[in-house]
Amino acid sequence: MADEKKPRTLATEAAARIPKIARANITATVKAKEEGKKVAYAFIVCGVDEIMRAMDIVPAWGESFSGICAAKRDAEKYLQKAEAENFSRSLCTYATCNLGFDMWREELGGQMPPDAPWGGMGRPDMVLGSGQQLCDPRYKWPQAMQHYLTDVPVFVGGLYYPPWDPNMDQKEQEKFYVKYATEELRACVRFCEKVTGKKMDWDRYAAVVDLSDRTWNLFIETYELRKAVPCPMDTGDAMNTMVPISFMLGTQECYDFYQALNDELKAKLARKQGVVENEKYRLLWGAGLPSWFALADFQYFNDKGAVFPVETTYRCSEAVYRLDLPKTDDPVEHIAWRWVRFWNHWYDKARMRPGSMPEVERLIEYIEDYKCDGVVFHSAFSCRSWHAGIMLQSEVLRRVYGDIPILIMEGDIVDISSYNEVDTHNRIDAFVEALEARKSGRN
Amino acid sequence: MAQAETNGLARAEQYYGEYGSRARALKASGSKVIGYLTALGPVEILTAAGVVPVRLKGNVFEPITRADAHMETIVCPFIRNVFDAALKGKYDFLDGMVMPHQCDSTDKTSNVWGYNLKLPYWHFLNVPHLTDDPSLEFFRSVLAYFVTSLERFTGTKITDAGLARAVQKHNENRQAMRDLYGLRKTDPPLISGVEMMKVLVAAMSLPVDESIALVKSVTEEVRKRKEATGGRPGARVMLVGDQIDDAALVQVIEDAGAHLVMDYLSLGSKMYWGDVDVTPDPLGALAERYLRKLKLPTTYIGSGANYEENLDARFGHIKRLAEEFRVNAVILFVYKYCDPYGFEVPALKSFIEKAGVPVLYLEDEYSASTLPRVKTRIEAFLEMIA
Repeated sequence: MADEKKPRTLATEAAARIPKIARANITATVKAKEEGKKVAYAFIVCGVDEIMRAMDIVPAWGESFSGICAAKRDAEKYLQKAEAENFSRSLCTYATCNLGFDMWREELGGQMPPDAPWGGMGRPDMVLGSGQQLCDPRYKWPQAMQHYLTDVPVFVGGLYYPPWDPNMDQKEQEKFYVKYATEELRACVRFCEKVTGKKMDWDRYAAVVDLSDRTWNLFIETYELRKAVPCPMDTGDAMNTMVPISFMLGTQECYDFYQALNDELKAKLARKQGVVENEKYRLLWGAGLPSWFALADFQYFNDKGAVFPVETTYRCSEAVYRLDLPKTDDPVEHIAWRWVRFWNHWYDKARMRPGSMPEVERLIEYIEDYKCDGVVFHSAFSCRSWHAGIMLQSEVLRRVYGDIPILIMEGDIVDISSYNEVDTHNRIDAFVEALEARKSGRN
Repeated sequence: MAQAETNGLARAEQYYGEYGSRARALKASGSKVIGYLTALGPVEILTAAGVVPVRLKGNVFEPITRADAHMETIVCPFIRNVFDAALKGKYDFLDGMVMPHQCDSTDKTSNVWGYNLKLPYWHFLNVPHLTDDPSLEFFRSVLAYFVTSLERFTGTKITDAGLARAVQKHNENRQAMRDLYGLRKTDPPLISGVEMMKVLVAAMSLPVDESIALVKSVTEEVRKRKEATGGRPGARVMLVGDQIDDAALVQVIEDAGAHLVMDYLSLGSKMYWGDVDVTPDPLGALAERYLRKLKLPTTYIGSGANYEENLDARFGHIKRLAEEFRVNAVILFVYKYCDPYGFEVPALKSFIEKAGVPVLYLEDEYSASTLPRVKTRIEAFLEMIA
């Protein structure tokens, strides 16, 4: 039986609308069959959103579904199912939760497992995976899934960017990275054409790419409104408002969502309405996916007068005009350039500060722009992709920027067995005391 | 070039016990030494650059005492252990390192290594996870960029002719090692798994010429055993895993009465099966070898017409090696926190079992402290299949 926890109080109306939107995304994967549409298991931040949207492919986001299972504290039954098949508990729990669900649905002959959160996810017609410097599960999870859904075709495309090297100029390499990414995205289109039996409408694709560019710009413009003091929306809300940019990029609904959020935040700014009444500490969520079963911890911070005006998590976008993208008439190549430049656009800055690194330059930029007093990281034990290297970021930040209070919380994204609320709150209490001591010292 | 070896097994034992000692000596005599991790280390390019390639290993008997202050404990336990050794000065003779992108644990910790070790040279080799034609071309460009980077560091031009010579040497090394592996086909094998592990470890610490000499010497020595060695019955075991680089686990297997006759390990058959083609385009041939001939769980293979074909493309070579070496039991040993291997377990286990070979799957740490429980599992498995 799921042990549902009282949800966090949301500051924005936009964030409050998210559960309904996320649920509709999941329901769409079930309805797709009735509507004659193809469903693709897909992963966020893989550059294929525009392809799926332009081809009317309904994305089924395993990461979202597992996160929802976790938020409802109803993931354990799927994790155990995967574990019984010899998938270790130390593997990505987004994947193992989803694999457990898939196995169960196959055992039932394609029927939805009983009491599946929000009605469960539809069976895919295809999987769009990705090989990156980001996340091994993005190509291993599809392979593992195919062991149970043997008839489902899988495409994995390569999407890389020049790695950081303080002694090398990434621009020497970016052309062959862009060429490769472009070819792989085209291969993805050919795969989707084969599975759907439909040809890509390239004009439509170009329009979707244009819409996603504009959405990136609007998203950043909107989130930058959070620089204001008091902060009108914090990371607790952003862990909800990330849903459209992560799972609905390339749709008008996504764009409209951020327009509405933009309007709402501006109204809050006009009223000088912050997340908390007496804003004492401003914090940067430095890295890490959240514990979806413990989002109320953001409320705990808020109750101490701490807000998070900015986070790196789910902010895998930048105002496109800041990326200095080479002009091209090929929208596929444009996406490739956008991908490479997004990941590389802190490199030059990092090179100018001896001993620094791009991830840290990003933290420094946010600390200064958003007037942050401290940094909080979350290290999820089952995910190396986003969470290995956090200790280095905190070390380098202190070394090149100076002493700033840093908290590294430990837990998981899905597996609640890793979580201890009392310990977590004790650590937050100690961190807030450190923030207070530092502030008092300044005064 | 080193003198011809005459007592290979003793030399291998020495290099195994004093790991890195030869590279340290070469460094003292003026050579540049570049370290690498994993079977993706581009040793041919390092050899062509005139540097000494040395593969880094850990020590399962050494507790991690310094690495945890800099690297998350959710990272591959092997990587953490080797990093710990490097922090403690075990590899203080290195001039630099090349870190091939194998998995998240190498990718996401590359900067952790670089920032903490502060070596004069560091290069992250961005190996893609795919094997299609664009990936091959991309990887060729990545290798070409590595060549440029290494030339800047060493001040030495790496020519196609030099690369071709290095390719030939490393192919010879692979062939020599395959010849030695061939002596494990007899029943009982002429060389024990423990001895073989020590030779494999020793070889990866040596310049290629010295490795060839060592391996040939061991082969010659072992061949002489043919008539002399009596046999004890026992299961013929194949060990499948990745970064197992210590004889301790093998000792446990053989103490339980089995013979380790084959492996699919990162320092073992993965390194030595699959030569580099000799072509006018050595970089293209290297890209082909490391992406397509070397089959790692970090390489996505899915071009089959159906799932069964995909399975055969992914694991068929393991089955064929098992048949060739008359294996009758497989131990699949995976480290905790290893997504690439961990996600393969159900598919790989069932694939091998369908071929009629029982599989023991163990998930464990890179540490001798857990060997007692591993021993119990292995003994029970061997009893069950006896």
